Amino acid sequence: MWEKLRDDFYQNFIVDNRWKYIADGLQNTLKITFFAVLIGIVLGFLVAVIRSTYENTHKLKVLNWICGVYLTVIRGTPVVVQLMIMYFVIFSFHDPGQVFTAVVAFGINSGAYVAEIFRSGISSIEKGQFEAGRSLGFNYAQTMWFIIMPQAFKNVVPTLANEFIVLLKETSVAGYIGLQDLTKGGDIIKSRTYSAFMPLIAVAVIYLVMVMMFSQLVKVLERRLQRSEH
Amino acid sequence: MSINNMEKPLIQVQNLGKKFGDMEVLKDISVDIYKGDVVCVIGPSGSGKSTFLRCLNRLEEPSGGHILFEGADIVDKKTDIDKHRQKMGMVFQQFNLFPHMTILKNLTIAPVKLQGKSEKEAKEQALKLLHKVGLADRADAYPNQLSGGQKQRIAIVRALCMNPDVMLFDEPTSALDPEMVGEVLTVMRELAEEKMTMVVVTHEMGFAREVATRVMFMDGGYFLEENEPEEFFANPKNDRLKLFLSKVL
Repeated sequence: MWEKLRDDFYQNFIVDNRWKYIADGLQNTLKITFFAVLIGIVLGFLVAVIRSTYENTHKLKVLNWICGVYLTVIRGTPVVVQLMIMYFVIFSFHDPGQVFTAVVAFGINSGAYVAEIFRSGISSIEKGQFEAGRSLGFNYAQTMWFIIMPQAFKNVVPTLANEFIVLLKETSVAGYIGLQDLTKGGDIIKSRTYSAFMPLIAVAVIYLVMVMMFSQLVKVLERRLQRSEH
Repeated sequence: MSINNMEKPLIQVQNLGKKFGDMEVLKDISVDIYKGDVVCVIGPSGSGKSTFLRCLNRLEEPSGGHILFEGADIVDKKTDIDKHRQKMGMVFQQFNLFPHMTILKNLTIAPVKLQGKSEKEAKEQALKLLHKVGLADRADAYPNQLSGGQKQRIAIVRALCMNPDVMLFDEPTSALDPEMVGEVLTVMRELAEEKMTMVVVTHEMGFAREVATRVMFMDGGYFLEENEPEEFFANPKNDRLKLFLSKVL
């Protein structure tokens, strides 16, 4: 038993430096997730502000409509399909690279979910907070920035963190456009060695460890944010 | 009254109206408020008194009429309302302190960001005012650590830190436990003694009688009666006011 495991490990990771498939894949997974999160936050923030502004003041009607279409389309279709459309249709004339394509596709996808998270965070803040800000002389944008956003952000940290965990795991479909991410790396090893156990379990463990580390980080952040209220 | 009539009013409300959909909450309100006035607005709930107050700094968008304040028509969409709101402090029933900031930050953020005061300058002024309302030791606390009465006193100070020309109070004691009403009214009474111009929507008849320079009764979207407090409470003329007073006094 012990012998076999060791042999399996050797075959799957050591021979021909196969561990590199995993390492390179992990690198791509992290790269995609990191930049997609950034795009998601920026995009989600903008969309949330536009939507909330429309809800509160009935301004930005056209932009709000565009945002509505964006949210409906992105949240109504599978991310794999969006990724493939991005690569094989939108970027079909000029290939900017698979990683770049994936970053854009996952970023745009995540933005839609982040937007709704931010928006619910904003609307969870009592109207009185907004009125207090305005009554002091702050304009709409200043009230949002100094008074509403900090409170809204604090409220949505757990949900936001969850969205990023989902995103990290969702990037595992990047193989559909021939991109070698963590999952694909394990898959390649499997196809070379004809053994599924070692590479797939390794891939799963790496995802799990990343998610657990991230969750821990978020817990610390949450605690620090909370402390400022007591 | 006789002296007041010589001066120009600080706030001139002319034919103010407010509709929510088909519901007409304020109907053709005209009233002048002079510097140093302490105007108490009383009336049954739903009479439009809060709406009237909230129209004064346009938290509620008036449907018609004019509100002249320091040379500008507040109702006019072209007026820079943010600038004029800096001169109109407002105190809410629910306090509405900013829970993510310390008390000190609650008090200094507006003067620093809007009036270009230095942090130090704003802090000095805030501490001075905190001292006056007896809460100097709570400067570094967060709003959630305070009692309702303390929160409302802080809310008053927050508005005062902008050096307003008029203070608007929207039922400032209605959300308070009975034993905390006194401490808030005391602060308001001191303000009145310092000749701050105040418009107070309230159910505190005692306060209105003792502190107000004018008491106004609102019902059904109109001001039905206005008088000096003594006369107002001793000899009400309007029938609805008589009925109202018989219930609340």
